[in-house]
Amino acid sequence: MLSLKHLQDTKLSSLALLDTAYIIVLLPLMLILKIPMLLFSFMVLLLLFFKKTPADKYLILFVFLMGVLALYLSLYGLFSFRGLSRLKLFLELLVYVLIIVVSMQRLTREINFYLLLSPMLFLALSLFFFHSILMLSYVIVEIFFLLWLLLAQRMDGDMIESFRAGMVMFMYSLPWVVVLFIFFPRISFDHADYGFKGENIQRMGHDGTMFLDSKALLVPSDRIVMEVGFDKEIPSSDKLYFRGSMLYVDKKDHWEPLPSYIKRENRTDDPIEGETVDYKVTLYPTQKHWIYLLDMPVRAVNDSEMDRDLISTVEKPIKSPLHYAARSALSPTLHDNLDQVTLDASTHFDPTRNPRTYQEAQKIKKRFEDPEKRASALVKFFQKQSLTYSLKPKALDINNTADSFLFDQRLGYCVHFASSFVTMARMSGIPSRIVTGYRADKANSLKNYLPVKERDAHAWAELYLDGHWVRFETTSTASSIDVESAQLLGTNTREKNKTFMESANLYLMYVKYQVETWILYYSHIRQLQLIQYAKDNPRFVLLFVLSLLALVLITFSITVYFRRPRCTHKILCIIEPLVKKLKKEGYIREKNETMHQYFLRYMKDHPDNSALKEVDRYYEAISYGGDTSAAALKQLKRVVKKSVSP
Amino acid sequence: MNYTIASEFTVLIDAIESHLVGKKETIALSLATFFAGGHLLLEDIPGVGKTTLAKHLSQVLGLDFGRIQFTSDMLPSDILGVNYYNQKEGAFIFKKGPIFTSFLLADEINRSMPKTQSALLQAMEEGSISIDGTLHALPMPFFVIGTQNPHEEAGTFPLPTSQLDRFMCSFGIGYPDRDSEREILKGERGHSSTLSDSLLTPQKIEGYMKQASEVTLSETLLDFLQEIIAYTRESGLFEYGLSTRGALSLTAMAKSWAMLQGRTYATADDLQAVTSVVCSHRLQFKEGPTTAKRIHHEIFTHVRSDI
Repeated sequence: MLSLKHLQDTKLSSLALLDTAYIIVLLPLMLILKIPMLLFSFMVLLLLFFKKTPADKYLILFVFLMGVLALYLSLYGLFSFRGLSRLKLFLELLVYVLIIVVSMQRLTREINFYLLLSPMLFLALSLFFFHSILMLSYVIVEIFFLLWLLLAQRMDGDMIESFRAGMVMFMYSLPWVVVLFIFFPRISFDHADYGFKGENIQRMGHDGTMFLDSKALLVPSDRIVMEVGFDKEIPSSDKLYFRGSMLYVDKKDHWEPLPSYIKRENRTDDPIEGETVDYKVTLYPTQKHWIYLLDMPVRAVNDSEMDRDLISTVEKPIKSPLHYAARSALSPTLHDNLDQVTLDASTHFDPTRNPRTYQEAQKIKKRFEDPEKRASALVKFFQKQSLTYSLKPKALDINNTADSFLFDQRLGYCVHFASSFVTMARMSGIPSRIVTGYRADKANSLKNYLPVKERDAHAWAELYLDGHWVRFETTSTASSIDVESAQLLGTNTREKNKTFMESANLYLMYVKYQVETWILYYSHIRQLQLIQYAKDNPRFVLLFVLSLLALVLITFSITVYFRRPRCTHKILCIIEPLVKKLKKEGYIREKNETMHQYFLRYMKDHPDNSALKEVDRYYEAISYGGDTSAAALKQLKRVVKKSVSP
Repeated sequence: MNYTIASEFTVLIDAIESHLVGKKETIALSLATFFAGGHLLLEDIPGVGKTTLAKHLSQVLGLDFGRIQFTSDMLPSDILGVNYYNQKEGAFIFKKGPIFTSFLLADEINRSMPKTQSALLQAMEEGSISIDGTLHALPMPFFVIGTQNPHEEAGTFPLPTSQLDRFMCSFGIGYPDRDSEREILKGERGHSSTLSDSLLTPQKIEGYMKQASEVTLSETLLDFLQEIIAYTRESGLFEYGLSTRGALSLTAMAKSWAMLQGRTYATADDLQAVTSVVCSHRLQFKEGPTTAKRIHHEIFTHVRSDI
């Protein structure tokens, strides 16, 4: 409010108001401007700053030419519009043209219709470029500012009065906005690529191929791949396996899923047992078909298909954030009557490769008849090899990847562990396969909110034992982790308490997620859900009505606050506390009473109130005697304070 | 009314009050009118002390007192004076009329013909008279107390509003209150036969007049004043609003009233105190009687002084 007090005496000219509006709306757009256009804008700013007189037509022509040049340079090489997929380019072009036109108009130093309208156009255009909660907040602020400036222009630049009027208008609209937001019939667009749909930066995701050569580079990035909101408590970390793709085929330098032409039998039984957990996922664009579900998903989510291995895919690559609700049973095993195709695929290995691994596998195969014992022998063998977890392994021998990893390099991460383990398991006669996906860490969660980051990408093995596919966390067989990787993974910090910044960041993400879930992605489905929920829970309805009433009350009080008689008179402001005190004591100033008479009336009943007498004296001297010096005002403030204190 | 007269003026008021018992406020307002450089119209029935007030006021102020009893056959020359031919000197000589005095009591002013009235009123406005093309300055200060009987109508020529405007203030004296009247009846006080002592010198009077004109009017007070003026003009309650001369009178009276209280600035209270006496003969309600009290009430319940 301090700055508002300064504003009180400020009256801005219409041009200044307009410039403010432009600064507000152009600020976010500056982020998308290309360098030539930025330079052009800067040039116009300089012109406006140094040339105080209206520009003549030659200057305008010059600015126009420069603008066209900047436009050409900015969009050079991009002039190939193909359909609406290039909508953004069109919009960018529109922004540039608008900037040129506005610059030309503004240099004439006249206010016209175009200049008044353009801030709104910029505001609308900026909506197409930014898709984040931050921008939503900024737009709300922008709208308020534009409203304020519009009112200020109407009110001859009286900033404080127009602020109050704008605030009142804003406040009045608030309950309606909330009610309309919740109940207004919604139209859901399936694939609207613009608007506030969240960030659209592409995530890596899994592409169904797992490389073992130099392409295999794990980026411990903090970019969020998906955000998961659990209906109840988050399960422990050892259960947070998100199933992505299923890899069967060893192609020397990489692993692949089964080719799509291979037809496998459908499941006939319900493979899921155990307690279930419900959760909602926001999956960010991966440009891939896979969607990620907790092991083991109970059923396919909407618009997706789930195959025999409980791997879910959608028809089109995911290009905008995808939201789905899912249910999973937290089981590390999956019941399956192995069909011939799957059996063949999960036992196949190339006997010409990895001779050393094959030798060891044969030893185990001979020693243990029972597949389960074989499997634990495999784990023991891996543990004995003193393998080191490292994010920067040396290159493997592509022809003998398992040999190279297990006996020579002994350095690697989940990909190396899982692929070698599966290779060796197959060699020892156990059907096995690789699952890729994400393994999240509960330590990074807040309440029921779990962000899954790119660094959580993971691969593990599934071995077919006793009619079930059993998950094996192959990476845990590593006997050490190299220092660098530990740092990169943040293992050290994870063991200790999270730093303040980490917690704060997590908390911000949580808030953002909640806002996005309930505001940005509030769809007709959620609307129906909400109405259904309200039908089942009368208490919720009551709570809702009460909070709405509270909102109305808050709105009302804020409105009253902003519409209260304004204390404009410097001296009246100072004695306001005293007048309030007298009012409290039942002395209300009559309409035809002067302040002096009012004080006298009070003093008649309280003759010993000497402080009030002093106030009266100073008040008159300042108010009528014209002694408005700072010292006098200070003195008045002092005696008022004295008179108010009990 | 809340006011405290400064001690240097209480002396004057007390001196007059000993002859006009219980009328301190009236006396103070008369003094204020005098120091504001205006003229006073006393409107009241005979026998309440109009002449007493005038006489003793002039005595206390130390001014020479003149009195004209207005009648219906009076001519302007009876007031202003005439040019007569002096045969001895062979030239026209101006014989000053009774108006050539510092303190004039114009008794029952509405009894004379409009022509005679206007002769007086012009002199009051301009402070000089012209006879046969010669300008004769009136003495300074020149103060007129006009009186008229509001209830008597037979054989009177009521002053038009434009003429009334020349008087700065107008009020009545009214009956004394019970206690004061008892004192008068007992014969303890209020003998008008003895004269007051002169308490002021012309220099002092001039000084006070200057002092009154130099009283500060703050911007906030001027705002309030202008709102009052606007109200009289725009509310539609009155036949016509306050004239600019009326507004000037209001400020002059407020200043003078402030000076009487020993202040160098005027306050909203001062304005409230003098508004009805300045306005009561200038404003006329469209409906109902016009009284000072009603004017005060109407104006100040509608024009709010925030300060």
